[in-house]
Amino acid sequence: MTEAPMIINGVEIRDSFAEAFPMAGTRLIITADTQRWAHTAAASLTGFATSVIGCGCEAAIERQLDPDETPDGRPGYAVLIFAMSLKDLKKVVPLRAGQCVLTSPTSACYSGLEGGAAIALGRALRYFGDGHQIAKSIEGRRFWRIPVMEGEFVCDEVVGSTTAAVGGGNFLILARSRPAALAAAEVAVEAMGQVSGAIMPFPGGVVRSGSKVGAKYAGMIASTNDAYCPTLRGVSKSALPPEVESVLEIVIDGLSEQDVAASMQAGITAVCGLGAAAGVVAIDAGNYGGNLGPFHFKLRQLMAPVAGETTL
Amino acid sequence: MSAYRLTLRAPLAARADLSGINPATLAGLSAQAVAWLTLPYGNGAVPLGDLFEVSQVEGGALMISGDPRLDFVGAQMAEGEIEVDGPVGVLAGSGMIGGRLVIRGDAGDGLAAGLEGGRIEVAGSAGAGVGGALTGDRQGMKDGMVAVAGAVGPGLGARMRGGLVLVGGDAGPRAADGLIAGTLAVAGRLGAGAGRGMKRGTILVASAPEAPAPGFVSTGPHDFVMLALLARRVPELAGLFGDRLGGRAERLVGNRLAGGAGEILVLQ
Repeated sequence: MTEAPMIINGVEIRDSFAEAFPMAGTRLIITADTQRWAHTAAASLTGFATSVIGCGCEAAIERQLDPDETPDGRPGYAVLIFAMSLKDLKKVVPLRAGQCVLTSPTSACYSGLEGGAAIALGRALRYFGDGHQIAKSIEGRRFWRIPVMEGEFVCDEVVGSTTAAVGGGNFLILARSRPAALAAAEVAVEAMGQVSGAIMPFPGGVVRSGSKVGAKYAGMIASTNDAYCPTLRGVSKSALPPEVESVLEIVIDGLSEQDVAASMQAGITAVCGLGAAAGVVAIDAGNYGGNLGPFHFKLRQLMAPVAGETTL
Repeated sequence: MSAYRLTLRAPLAARADLSGINPATLAGLSAQAVAWLTLPYGNGAVPLGDLFEVSQVEGGALMISGDPRLDFVGAQMAEGEIEVDGPVGVLAGSGMIGGRLVIRGDAGDGLAAGLEGGRIEVAGSAGAGVGGALTGDRQGMKDGMVAVAGAVGPGLGARMRGGLVLVGGDAGPRAADGLIAGTLAVAGRLGAGAGRGMKRGTILVASAPEAPAPGFVSTGPHDFVMLALLARRVPELAGLFGDRLGGRAERLVGNRLAGGAGEILVLQ
């Protein structure tokens, strides 16, 4: 006997699940004299960090911080960085902070996560000071002041980390048209931006080129997800109903399984809020049959509390 | 939760050594057992009960009535809280590892000497060698925080290795002598000869020092993000300097005669 379909505001929630993986993650707080330059540093730090497959890490801005939320009272951003292992994280964090934040005018870089294994920040960057760097321990925390041409770069000695992070949470928006898919994805990303502890690392939070594992070509570890390509309907085994013309994916990394679940729920809820009237047909998710990743985010289970409150 | 109050029966006629008397060492002892503890007093020793009336009070802090001849108050304390109502003698809080010592009066010489952790607050002034080294030690205080509302005597922070000392009033001559690391903040005037042999560390002052030790070079005024960070992490420091801890300061680097890279930051 098949399960009854779940439909929210005319949008079908498919009986599928997102398959996610354990990751190591951390949070940095980046500040600057102005919001613009804090954003520049944060955007630079999180640039080219969409997927561990090609970038070595996944990173994005988590949220904007008001001056009264930052360690030095200046405008700032919280960013999250994830890697496949603690070893990788220990490599990418000082590398990116050194190339993208240390170099950015007026910036400072602080730890945004306590506990876990210590990731070197100032402990690694201080050597740029060539002996003129100054350590300052304040109320149990050690900071470094590195003289630079513009003044001083201030950063924490280390940043905490977690190995309970989860990467690869995702959902797919199946829509009647390309504009409808894009509009729905934008609404989802906006809503998911309100959830702390999670990021959407792809450009603007959205992926247009979801992938499957492997390819016909040797050496390609991932290739286009032909089952969800509307132009291949009838050529490959398609997962798309006839009315779907465009599919966009949102990938989520979080500091914990709960953060990813909350983010997915917020995003799917927002898309369902637009409903079938806005051209959204269904919500699906990407997985590998459930044998690769230990975390399974079942769409219908996630949306059950929302579906219960919504008129079908 | 109850603790003890030690009330002096009369002003001390000789110096009394209170080292080893702290909340942790008194925990679990009856008032009678506390009164039987032996205190070095003058050139001999007496039961604590001979000098103090011992009573139980509500709260977690050990309450002691102060006297300028009461030495080593809170020395070596690792945890808990001591509140002294009145002045204390020499070496209060020396070698303290943790906990909180509050002195509602003046403190003698050697306050916080060899401090390794915890907080010491003095409502009055303090004598010479605040945060300095214990006899025979090469280094002064290593960590923790000391806040003196009034003035301090000569030799503030001599050979200090870390931690933070806040001085609400003036600091006597030869502050930061051989200072290795850590931060001294002086809201009043910084006495002559400050920073002789200073290696690293920071002296924060509200006004330009009249006669620092030779060997300091001015790098000019700058905007320091670090000062804004300090102001937010240490509210007492912001309280000491007010809005002037906003970020701009003249930086004097020294002591170059000793190859040092310490600094005196003069708030603008």
